Amino acid sequence: MNPFNYHKPSSLAAAVALHRDAEDPAYLSGGHTLLPTMTQRLAAPSDLIDLEGLTELTGIAAQGSVLSIGAFTRHAEVAASSEVRGALPALADLAEGVGDAQVRNRGTMGGSLANSDPAADYPAAALALNAVIRTDRREIAADDYFRGLFETALAEDEVITRIDFAVPSRAAYEKFPNPASRYATVGVMVADFRGAVRVGITGAGPCACRAPAFEAALSARLAPASLDDAELPAIDFNSDLHASAEYRAHLVRVMAQRATARIAAGTD
Amino acid sequence: MDLGARKLYLGYLIPGVAKTGRQSGDGMEQSGEHRIPADRATVWRSLNDPAVLARCIDGCQSMERLADNRFAATVKARIGPVRATFDVALTLARMRPPESYVLEAEVKGKAAGFGKGSAEVALADAGDGATLLSYRVVGRVGGKLAQIGARLINGAARKMADDFFSAFHEAVDPARSRTPATNPP
Repeated sequence: MNPFNYHKPSSLAAAVALHRDAEDPAYLSGGHTLLPTMTQRLAAPSDLIDLEGLTELTGIAAQGSVLSIGAFTRHAEVAASSEVRGALPALADLAEGVGDAQVRNRGTMGGSLANSDPAADYPAAALALNAVIRTDRREIAADDYFRGLFETALAEDEVITRIDFAVPSRAAYEKFPNPASRYATVGVMVADFRGAVRVGITGAGPCACRAPAFEAALSARLAPASLDDAELPAIDFNSDLHASAEYRAHLVRVMAQRATARIAAGTD
Repeated sequence: MDLGARKLYLGYLIPGVAKTGRQSGDGMEQSGEHRIPADRATVWRSLNDPAVLARCIDGCQSMERLADNRFAATVKARIGPVRATFDVALTLARMRPPESYVLEAEVKGKAAGFGKGSAEVALADAGDGATLLSYRVVGRVGGKLAQIGARLINGAARKMADDFFSAFHEAVDPARSRTPATNPP
């Protein structure tokens, strides 16, 4: 790893100012993508700006139809939170299935969304749960947030502060995990908002996306069979040594049907 | 943390000029077309202009002409968490003006591995003074990039090829808006 300057600012404004003044800075959240990249010398930022401890980025609050989660909340905290379990058990389940114990105890929701790894779990939830991504300067609807492979609507120096999820009547997340990393080969969240269904997909293409034909079919009838013939979303499917494009396309339908079956069975 | 297992899945990219590959022994391939509203001679000139090529390579920091058909470039690739600088040697081969050539690239990352790729570029009259540019990119990576780059190299490489030719399209005719490549992101 190359040498770098480490900063631990005490306010969000100070963090952004440090980023502005540094030569080649990077924000540090859980560090579970950035630090391995640095040890591989595939990244060598001049300055790391640690976001841990910033009060603007912490706390979980359920207020009526919105569950608001601070960006620095770690996956293990989401999984264990009584507020999340109460309002949005599907999100707690998702968090419980991210990576391994080490990843869940370090990785953060904001870090995952800012990185927008095509196989990360949270992006599917952000889309299915119609999330609003709040930053140090604005609000971004999840539908406008994911732009491409590792590309988001965030500016280079922008910091996610909170994620506000709309609370559905029912929801479920199903993924086909890679057995080693537990990244989603394909992951699908289905969320039912009183008959209006939203579907968020991750792992399949360059970034998370929704599935309009699936949503229409499930809004008409919330049953796995509704998806038997529903058109797949227009995704440029990923292909790698773990799964071909054809296999990922197949998994999208199967995972969506499994999530739908869980909702329909009333277990979520 | 389990860096060993994690490492495998960190793999992303690699740079280049619109070309790169997947794992060794399993090359990446990408093709597409752009209809460019300029005549063939103009497009051909731009394809041979190092200043234009440099503008079209995302993260290109320098481009130096070594010989008539050889160039040396420095490219800073930025994909997700990766920010690595690569030396790229470009050669223009099998020149058939103003119809086709092969743009060969050899990529060396200081610590990150290496890659090799080529783009076959062909031009045809498309009527109304426009030119149809078609390309086929093949490539492959080795070294550390190949060890850790199994995941998503294809996606990253395809995106780079798309970006390069889209940027080239704009560079040749900035008055016209960008035409989607055949493989949208």
